[in-house]
Amino acid sequence: MSRLFALLKREFWENRGALRTTPIVIGALYIVGTLMAIFTTVHFDNDLYTFKEAVRLFAELPEAQRANLVFQTNLLAGSSVFTIALGVVVFFYLLGALYDDRKDRSILFWKSLPASDTLTLASKLITGLVVAPLIFWVVYLATQLLTAGIAAIMVMTAGENPWTLYLGISQPIKAWLLVLASWLTNSVWSLPIAGWLLLVSSFAPRIPLLFAVLPPIVFAVLQLWIKFLQTFTFSDNLFGVLGLWFANSPLILSAQENDNAIEVALGVPGGNTFDHAVTLGNMLDRLFSQQMAIGLAVGAVFIAGALWFRTRATEG
Amino acid sequence: MTDVIKARGLTKRYGKHLAVDHIDLTIPAGRIVGLIGPNGAGKTTALKAILGLANFDGELSVLGRNPSRQRASLMEDVCFIADVAVLPRWIRVKELIELTERIHPRFSREKCQRYLASTKITPDHRVKQLSKGMTVQLHLAIVMAIDARLLVLDEPTLGLDILYRKQFYTNLLNDYFDEERTILITTHQVEEVEHILSDLIFIQDGKIALDCSMEAVQEQYTELMVRSDQAEAARALGPLFERVLMGRHIFLFKDADRAALGALGELHTPSVADLFVATMSQSGHMDGEISAFQQTAGGAVA
Repeated sequence: MSRLFALLKREFWENRGALRTTPIVIGALYIVGTLMAIFTTVHFDNDLYTFKEAVRLFAELPEAQRANLVFQTNLLAGSSVFTIALGVVVFFYLLGALYDDRKDRSILFWKSLPASDTLTLASKLITGLVVAPLIFWVVYLATQLLTAGIAAIMVMTAGENPWTLYLGISQPIKAWLLVLASWLTNSVWSLPIAGWLLLVSSFAPRIPLLFAVLPPIVFAVLQLWIKFLQTFTFSDNLFGVLGLWFANSPLILSAQENDNAIEVALGVPGGNTFDHAVTLGNMLDRLFSQQMAIGLAVGAVFIAGALWFRTRATEG
Repeated sequence: MTDVIKARGLTKRYGKHLAVDHIDLTIPAGRIVGLIGPNGAGKTTALKAILGLANFDGELSVLGRNPSRQRASLMEDVCFIADVAVLPRWIRVKELIELTERIHPRFSREKCQRYLASTKITPDHRVKQLSKGMTVQLHLAIVMAIDARLLVLDEPTLGLDILYRKQFYTNLLNDYFDEERTILITTHQVEEVEHILSDLIFIQDGKIALDCSMEAVQEQYTELMVRSDQAEAARALGPLFERVLMGRHIFLFKDADRAALGALGELHTPSVADLFVATMSQSGHMDGEISAFQQTAGGAVA
């Protein structure tokens, strides 16, 4: 346990820039953007007339509508930029996880320590799929609290009570926790892709990005071509499978219409395999699906392959 | 005391090429063993098998464990420095110490800091800021702070200047080595290690060409230096090897009658380098590298 903790620490130290600095910079930009928007408003609208009108109109809406509007905004508006950055960071982290120390030969030092290859691989998977989302979430939460504070002050200057107007009724904490749940369930959902990235990272002789991206593209194009020769149609290929996987992911990514109201949605609604409404139940539904079972099997094969290559990384 | 390393028929294949060819090897505890051979002879391959860094055929037991299957547990009792400057470049010295302390049950932070105190390395240094020599000092400080039973050094001082090289071996002997511990070294700089070795293993084309203790070397091998008019007489006694140095003929004998040899000229104990050249050339391998060795050896004698 102490060894695993040490290895996790190592991953954090080695990837401080990606795991810590990235979300902090994004959070800072988010706050700065908010403040700039406020200053712009104040600059053109000295008595904040328009803003006060908007708050007054908002206050006239029925309570349920107000609560829903703020809840939906909390879910998507504050989180989407973190969701995208998290995806990019984890993608490149996993791609380099078993590659970088082979490249600079420091693997010869790491392998001189009494930590098994399995434990090392586990530490990398946990860093990418659990530690990274947790760090991003803490920073996301901090920006949300700050912007909520700024918004409350603005609403008070407009002469309204932010608590009764929206804070007390819109369940912000539930929205923030749903974002965390969505990231963590998506970590499980993405296991086949994480496994593929680790596998590439464990064997690529150089430029792992190329090895990660080219084979799927070549494979899918071949599929398309063969299918086209047979039936003169384009359907059912790897692109489609990956696209569907992404569309069904438990990430809060888009919006859909529900009872004539726009509502935030999981993945990209379209198919009817899963319910895309943002609830914990719908996220877990994906984890206990047939698709997930297949995904886990594929992921397990990739990760076993990565472990196989890792134990042989110092041969030759 | 059990044997630290025991190999029977140890073999490593790369395709059709046999990098290590059915080696039998026994290394008891408390020895300092030099594993010496030309490039591509199989030294590093053999070490990788011993350290669990590569698979192998045949039987191999290191401290009673199978290295390829039990690497992690083996590394609790074995330390190695494989090549110079393999410490991760991004890490800070204090982070390296903390990680090693948490992962390694036999690491002593106090010892490590004591070794580092005599260097210019500080806890906040990053490895990439250190010179090659300082990086080796750091690695050695880490390794010497681990209470291991076997230490394996593969070309640990390659590319370092003479001051660091001397200091490296002095530290190793004075502060680290004792009767419980075993050290296995490969290096090209034979002259630097020959005074600290207790045993010698020559390896050539994946096979062991010589395996004996330094005492046995001194007992069995004699070097005779004669003027050219005595060369014919010396040759008649059946030397292993002959070379000419500044008009003198130098012969290497095994198990020879020292009294008879002494009548012909000066007797010496051969250096490891000379013995190496003789052993390698006996098997009919006199390539460029061995000639280079010969020059080094000649320089040492002169």
